[in-house]
Amino acid sequence: MTNPFSASKLHPAVWWMVGFSFAILAGSSGNLIVLGAILLACVFVILSCRETAPWSQSLRFYLILGALVVSLRLVFRIVFNLESGGSEPWLRLPKLGLNLGVLGEFQFFGAVDKASILAALTDGLRLAAIILSVGMANTLANPRKLLKSTPGALFEVATAISVAINLAPQLIESLQRVRKARMLRGRSDGLRALSGIVIPVLEDTIDRSMSLAASMDARGFGRTADQSALRTTWLRAISLVSVCCFAIGCYLMLATKPDLLSLGVVAIGLVCLVWAVKANSAKHLRTRYRPQPLCPADYVGLLLSALVTTAALLGWGV
Amino acid sequence: MITFSDFSFQYSKTDSPVLRRLNLNYSPGEFSLICGPTGSGKSTFLKTINGLAPHFTGGTARGRILLAGQDVSGSLPHQLAELVGYVNQQPEGSFVADTVEDELAYGLEQLGIAPAKMHEAIVAIADSLGLADLLTKPLGYLSGGQQQRVAIGAAIAAGQRILVLDEPTSALDSEAAEELLRLLTQLAHESRITVLIAEHRIERLIGLVDSVTMVHPDGSVTKSEPAKAFNDYRMVPPLVELAQRLDWKPLPLDIEAAESFWNSSRVATNPRIPFRRDLTSTVLQVSDLGVNFGGESALHPSSFSVAECEVLAIVGKNGSGKSSLLWAIQGSGMRTSGKSLINGVDPAQLAAADRFEQVCLVPQNAADLLFLNSLAEELEESDRFAKVSAATTAGLFARLAGRLDPIRHPRDLSAGQQLALVLALQLVKGARVLLLDEPTRGLDYEAKRQLATQIATLKSSGKAVLVATHDLEFVSLVADSVLELVEGRVISHLPVAEALASGTALATQISSLVRQPGVISINDVLGVDHA
Amino acid sequence: MLRTNRVSKILSGASILLAGSAALLMFIWPLLIQSQNQNEANLAQTVFILLMPMLVILILIEVATGGIGSKQLAILGVLTALNAVIRLLGAGTAGIETVFFLLILGAYVFGSGFGFLLGSTSLLVSALLTGGFGPWLPFQMMAAGLIGLLAGLLPTLRRRIAQIWLLAVFAVFASYLYGSLMTLWNWPLLAGVGTSLSYSPGSALSDNLGNFLRYELFTGGFVWDTGRAITTVALLIFAGPAVLATLRRAANKAGFENSN
Repeated sequence: MTNPFSASKLHPAVWWMVGFSFAILAGSSGNLIVLGAILLACVFVILSCRETAPWSQSLRFYLILGALVVSLRLVFRIVFNLESGGSEPWLRLPKLGLNLGVLGEFQFFGAVDKASILAALTDGLRLAAIILSVGMANTLANPRKLLKSTPGALFEVATAISVAINLAPQLIESLQRVRKARMLRGRSDGLRALSGIVIPVLEDTIDRSMSLAASMDARGFGRTADQSALRTTWLRAISLVSVCCFAIGCYLMLATKPDLLSLGVVAIGLVCLVWAVKANSAKHLRTRYRPQPLCPADYVGLLLSALVTTAALLGWGV
Repeated sequence: MITFSDFSFQYSKTDSPVLRRLNLNYSPGEFSLICGPTGSGKSTFLKTINGLAPHFTGGTARGRILLAGQDVSGSLPHQLAELVGYVNQQPEGSFVADTVEDELAYGLEQLGIAPAKMHEAIVAIADSLGLADLLTKPLGYLSGGQQQRVAIGAAIAAGQRILVLDEPTSALDSEAAEELLRLLTQLAHESRITVLIAEHRIERLIGLVDSVTMVHPDGSVTKSEPAKAFNDYRMVPPLVELAQRLDWKPLPLDIEAAESFWNSSRVATNPRIPFRRDLTSTVLQVSDLGVNFGGESALHPSSFSVAECEVLAIVGKNGSGKSSLLWAIQGSGMRTSGKSLINGVDPAQLAAADRFEQVCLVPQNAADLLFLNSLAEELEESDRFAKVSAATTAGLFARLAGRLDPIRHPRDLSAGQQLALVLALQLVKGARVLLLDEPTRGLDYEAKRQLATQIATLKSSGKAVLVATHDLEFVSLVADSVLELVEGRVISHLPVAEALASGTALATQISSLVRQPGVISINDVLGVDHA
Repeated sequence: MLRTNRVSKILSGASILLAGSAALLMFIWPLLIQSQNQNEANLAQTVFILLMPMLVILILIEVATGGIGSKQLAILGVLTALNAVIRLLGAGTAGIETVFFLLILGAYVFGSGFGFLLGSTSLLVSALLTGGFGPWLPFQMMAAGLIGLLAGLLPTLRRRIAQIWLLAVFAVFASYLYGSLMTLWNWPLLAGVGTSLSYSPGSALSDNLGNFLRYELFTGGFVWDTGRAITTVALLIFAGPAVLATLRRAANKAGFENSN
């Protein structure tokens, strides 16, 4: 029987929702057991749902990165330790001093207590869990499919990105071809050779981009509903409000604590973001070929992500 | 279907108009060939139909254009996308999506066609263009001919009634090109789509089209039946040129039609003297040279030699190993066995700079070798690099292409001028062996004739020249002997008159018509002295 | 008509700058905020990681609202591809970071909105090609976008050689700026608290700045930034003039209006 939750069955955006909710839970958690569970869950989901696509083979990369982050955090704690002097030291290392001139006196090693080691481990694991959550989404969501289902507001940017992805392999070929051609003129490689290689490729690339643009125009690219200048300005204002809300909300959160006010400001920002995306998408008249509809497995994914996010907001992971 | 009335177009106020006072009319299902010398407004003419000129290229248009009875003067390209499909030279450069299906869908999406109808339209167009099995394939895996079919499908998927193509066959080998042109004929005559196509190699189209539209250098445009269109023999295929020179009327457009004229005329031909290699003056000796790419054999071990003052043509389809052979001879390409000796030295053993003094190669994309911002800079840099006296390269270039404005940008030169520039740059150190990879790509008949003269000049100065090409008419103009490659194997190595003789797979138009030994090009019929 | 065009141009410029400043605030908070509570600071960092992608999306929409024509879009696509490919080829060798060379030149020729797009799409595409996707990516996209945005604001000098020197000076500044922004991002995350080079919530700006500089020094950030600055300046000097001329030619061909 085939797995109803294998990577390509679910909508790529659902994978990202699940990944984000895991990241939120990890971020709000200070509990080693919860963090460990998130890490295990990520690895389990990746292993059981991934397929053989090239972007699905990066679990090892994310695991190594996570381990690196945790050990880096511990090493910093031990090497550049500031003695708190409170509780019982757990590790006693000889203290070293170094005078850095303008940057002041600098201390290495010294006594480290158990609590601070534990805190460093928790922080490191939290970051590792966030990295793996994002990594899970990236491993399971097909980036091309996601590009295809980007909202209309990001249509232009998504087009540029998919053009770039399709073009990259051809460009690697042209770079190699031009390098070979350059040898025909008896020239060697080196820094001076650079313009001899970059210029022909760039010229080719630009010619290519012009024929691409002509072909896009001729096939109807750029059809938009008429929009008044007022509406454009208005849309711009909404997205600016959203940007400002995010910045202010974050600063409020940091300066005091995540209270109703700061969360409220961020929420306003989110509402404006959704509004801006919707309103900007409405100006495009285009339709989509075979949009991927949500299937039952998608709803399971969305439910999971909603549950995890609620748990995080209710503080269950702390 | 398309009506131009009193239509003019110019790029800037100071330049003279590219198109002057056009009054033309195309009917539904008409298949028309657009021709004219390089630099005339062929491309511009095609682009005015869907508004790419002036909205995309700049410039100003005056007068009116009507499409299907509707005045569309001043409309933007995307407003005309339902009416006109547009296909340009390089399909791989105009793809937006990554698979065939998505590429076909792109235009439909932009036009806001309902998803259910979209699927129908894609299936229908894929069936009629023979793309049904390829729908889920990535575009990069397709052959050039298949890619061009996808581009055509994408242009007419939304039911466009007009299809405009700007030199769609220039990157295809002759088999793929002929298939594509058959398909276009079907679209015009069975699906009643008005097809306008600009094309350099007129010989394969002239028997298929309903009309010929000539864009003249002075900006006037005339349309007539194919048999009456040509009065300037510099732009026509050899068969038509012969018919014009011998004053045959009505002008025969294919060999069957010409045969009765030929049989009743008593022209004394002037067969060429069979080429005999001077064995004492061998410059290039290739022995057991073989190339493998990733376990597959691109070129089986081959041996042959080329003498000084000899032009050897290497012919074969795309992918038959022509390029691999040239690059392996030059010494910087991959080799799995054998050697190539130039006056006893193998260039593969030399450093790049020393190799450059022995042998030079002009790659398929000659412009890859150009990287400066003006002609003068390129020429001077070449003198400095080669440590030769000033203006040496410029002198060589002038001998090949005449004098040109030195501040012009190398990328703005015509394909023929670019080729001459690269030849001059490559020959500055006086290499004895010259290798040319598909030099006729993008050249019109006039430019090909000039290239043939340039090669003759180089040959008479004692060089050995190897030309890889699939253009047999060009081979008949320049070559002394012909090496044929099929799937990486040398299947024959003969003097040119035998290789291209009538009855062989490589026969030229003239040899199929005349059927006399030693007569393969128009020069052999009319007795023009052999360069 | 002309007047509304100018007003909307000024508006779009102002809004992009405002958005850019807001984005900058998301990086430099450790130097500005004097939070007391470590746990809350931890949570806030997570919020940053989650909000940064949204912010990137917002600014991309903001820039695209002005409407990108097919030609600009095609040039953006191919320059992004070239930039991502060059970055792939340059990566791996210590300190050789080639992404800024084309970014600075492209932004200088095509303007600051284009610069922002080019910076962010270049890093996104190279991450898509290598699979190096992670929480750091939105921050990298934003930082590179800001570099592009600033490069687009540089004045067009009359002499080409003066332009190259201007860009070279900017490249040095941009290399350290990008490095510092990215270090500011990972500093509280990697160094944690309670060490002699950590972000210390509740301390004065000067203390935190000192800690930050020490962190930069000990993690090799400065070496990395210096490598990046040297590579970019060298590339600009050797290949800059020719690439600049080619891009200007392309801008003329594509009919870009006066880019600055």
